[in-house]
Amino acid sequence: MSDRIRSGNRWLLGAGLALAFAGAAAAEEIVITDHENREIHLDAPASRIVTIPMPLASGVIALSGGTDRLVGLNPLSLTAIREGILGKIFPDAVNISDAVTGTDFVPNVEALAAVNPDLVVQWAGRGPEIVDPIVNAGLNALLIKYGTEELTRQYMTMVATAIGKPERIAELVDWSDVVQHDIEAKVASIPQDERPNVLYLGRSLSDITAAGDTGSYSSWYIALTGGRNAAAELDGTSSINREQIAQWDPEVILLNSFEPNLDVNWVYDDPILSLTKAAQQHRVYKMPLGGYRWDPPSQESPLTWMWLAELLHPELFDYDLRAEMTKAYKTLYNYQLTEADIDGIIWTAQQGDSLGYDQFAAQ
Amino acid sequence: MIGLTNAVVRFGNRCVLDQLSFSAERGRSLAILGPNGRGKTTALRAMLGFQALAAGTRTAPAVVGYVPQYASSNQSYKVLDAVVMGRAAGLGLFGQPSARDIAAARDALEQVGALRFAKERFDRLSGGERQLVLLARALATGSKVLVLDEPGSALDLNNQARLLRLLSALRAPRDRAIVFTTHDPNHALAAADDALLMLPDGPALFGPVAETIVPELLERLYGVPMRLVNLIGEDGTGQNAVLPAFAGRRAA
Amino acid sequence: MSTQIDDGGAIAPRWRPWSRTGFAFASFGVALMVAILVSLCVGRYSVSAMTALHILGEAIVHPGQAIESMDQRIVLLVRAPRVVIAAMAGAALATAGVALQGVFRNPLVSPEVLGISQGAAFGGALAITMGIWGVPLLGIVFIGGFSALIAVGMLARINGQTEILTVILSGMVVGSLFSACVSLLQFIADPNSSLPAIVYWLMGSFATATWDRVLVSAPGLLLGIALLWALRFRLNVLSLDDSEARSLGARPDQERWLVFVLVALIVGCQVAVSGIVGWVGLVIPHAARLIVGHDHRRLLPATALLGATFMVGVDTLARTLTAAEIPLGVLTAIIGAPAFALLLRRHFKDREAT
Repeated sequence: MSDRIRSGNRWLLGAGLALAFAGAAAAEEIVITDHENREIHLDAPASRIVTIPMPLASGVIALSGGTDRLVGLNPLSLTAIREGILGKIFPDAVNISDAVTGTDFVPNVEALAAVNPDLVVQWAGRGPEIVDPIVNAGLNALLIKYGTEELTRQYMTMVATAIGKPERIAELVDWSDVVQHDIEAKVASIPQDERPNVLYLGRSLSDITAAGDTGSYSSWYIALTGGRNAAAELDGTSSINREQIAQWDPEVILLNSFEPNLDVNWVYDDPILSLTKAAQQHRVYKMPLGGYRWDPPSQESPLTWMWLAELLHPELFDYDLRAEMTKAYKTLYNYQLTEADIDGIIWTAQQGDSLGYDQFAAQ
Repeated sequence: MIGLTNAVVRFGNRCVLDQLSFSAERGRSLAILGPNGRGKTTALRAMLGFQALAAGTRTAPAVVGYVPQYASSNQSYKVLDAVVMGRAAGLGLFGQPSARDIAAARDALEQVGALRFAKERFDRLSGGERQLVLLARALATGSKVLVLDEPGSALDLNNQARLLRLLSALRAPRDRAIVFTTHDPNHALAAADDALLMLPDGPALFGPVAETIVPELLERLYGVPMRLVNLIGEDGTGQNAVLPAFAGRRAA
Repeated sequence: MSTQIDDGGAIAPRWRPWSRTGFAFASFGVALMVAILVSLCVGRYSVSAMTALHILGEAIVHPGQAIESMDQRIVLLVRAPRVVIAAMAGAALATAGVALQGVFRNPLVSPEVLGISQGAAFGGALAITMGIWGVPLLGIVFIGGFSALIAVGMLARINGQTEILTVILSGMVVGSLFSACVSLLQFIADPNSSLPAIVYWLMGSFATATWDRVLVSAPGLLLGIALLWALRFRLNVLSLDDSEARSLGARPDQERWLVFVLVALIVGCQVAVSGIVGWVGLVIPHAARLIVGHDHRRLLPATALLGATFMVGVDTLARTLTAAEIPLGVLTAIIGAPAFALLLRRHFKDREAT
């Protein structure tokens, strides 16, 4: 907690003060300041939540420890739940309404009203068209910004506060901090030229996209784990061609977990990409898909960092990823992962023989 | 060679051509006269096959040398290129004009006295020059039938005279049929053997110029008193002309 | 190409009236060759021009040799097919534009007017939504373009005749309908996979060019270009008023459809491998007309050469200017629109001068 306040974060501070105030004045009322500086007042902890931003659905499930508080979600969140392990852990989750929003984040007011939510989480900073329908329907909208670890911790805190479980987020933030600082400390000594060039491809099958350093979460955790973003010269997310990848010649290629038909063979079968250092050294990995996709920020992000840190600098780290995952899933979802679950999440069948993957193998 | 037999054309309920029959034979020249809106152009289009007949038959060779009143406005082709298009019928869909076709086009331009602007752009010519080029294109088709839609209407008197001389010259060998529509009965007198009068109040009259271009019939045709006068030309020969008696008593 | 436009007089040597056009064609040919060579030598991956040319020469002298090094693969497997597709697509689109403008007697007409592009776009979007790529995608794109054409044909056919105005109006109707269908597909598409694919594909790109795609698109594109070229003199005749064309032995309302079908063939093949690429069919014919005149016998080959050069040049910019690929449609519009405005002004000034 002290660490969070020291970081001078006015959102968290706001939420914290609001909580303190709420505790002092009216024991029941919860006040949250969201990412557009709006105050949201809740008479009681939110028990019926709709999440329109994709990563939030699994976030709410993790924070509340189950699916009962989530009454509506983005169709794409549902896709991730079906494709990933969450659908297995919480079979009921696939029945949650995804009619409340289009994939373009425009809420369907009728469907929203039908699930009678006491809190609707929506994107901040994307214009009034996707917010006004919620507010005009007399519903509580919590607006969040997305993209960095800091923002993620802020909005996860807001949601935890809203559902009256601040202890859950404290636990989560502590874990994140510990892992982050541990990795930072170990990586600090690595000279620049020993940090591998890592290329994260946000899309591969239609066009190929990569992202520069600003506003890219993948670029942030590549740096965190002791790599360099091979696409650093890009400005935002852009379409690139194979020739450019050949020129960057990355030492590690990370493939997104969003495209279900994509696996590492896409790189090994490509006449150009198969000649990159990454392919030659078998350092091509598809991002795991657990409770949520491991590429964007989520409650499972510390696992992403450990996974990537072990792949980039196996000599520096000795995380037992399988144990860490088992522990985290127990805490987050109260679920006991099986060995097969873990192999499914980290794609052992598809990329088990990639360089460094032996350290993740089941004992 | 070309003509209509008992042709009927209807636009909706309106019967524009009713049992119309006429023909132009090889070696003869036919002028079609009539007031505005009586169906001159329709008769011409029907004869050329551009207008479907409700009844009756059309006689025409496969290719007719046709000179439209106005050319397509967008013709930015060189004059020679435009005239070579007259050869298209013989070339088929994928054919390209050969040296012989180009020679034929040049001959046609020469025939109408327009060879000197063979390399000009068609859309930069004057109205009279364009008409000559279109006539050359019609000649270049090689067809023995020549059809002109109101060839004199847009021309000044000098160009009208040139055109009529040209039509007479084309008729002179008596080896082709020529059909033209006109507002001016003097054009018929100057360049036609037969005339088709599209009378406003009855069936069309078809017959030799001497029997049809007469004041009584022309009065019926245009509803204006007409006078036939005999003029002595520069070469001393007599020449008929018809005049509308717009000025009434004074002209009479 | 016609060869005797001179006046054949005794004094004038035969080649003289041709020198301007001949020079123009020689320049077009050289420009295209230069564009292709430059395009093969530049890119984001650094291969020196000499190495690139050497690789190219080796590949031509010893075809079928194993392509092993990265340099070889970049030049022969990435750049070469891309240049070939860009050149063919540019030539074909520009030729299709000229042909349509001819039969419509309107220099502002493009395949969008007939709804063909929209139909093809719908076919492609549908294929992507269903996860279909490659030759089957080409088939569906093609069917889309042709369905639009047939729909326009049926709508426009009144009393057994098709007037140009009704064709244009029908094209607008059908085009709008297919555009709406594309929007609908985008609306329901999966934002994780098919939506970005559709959006990227609609923007147009040669980034995905491979020799397989060359083989897929080349037959249709080349057949389309070849048949339109064979029709070059007929296009002159079809560019006249219907009655004039008919009097010259053509059957405009049927022969127009032959042209439309060829345009649909070209657009379908091009769209299938490189998405929607606008402006080429509009700007290039105009530029070519200013240089070689309106006769399709010269205009068609000039347009094809210029179109190929333009497309290769623009695509080279698209893939080399920045680390990110610049969408082709953006570049053709940025270059095309002002160029077109300029040409249009010249065109009308030219008219007033007469």
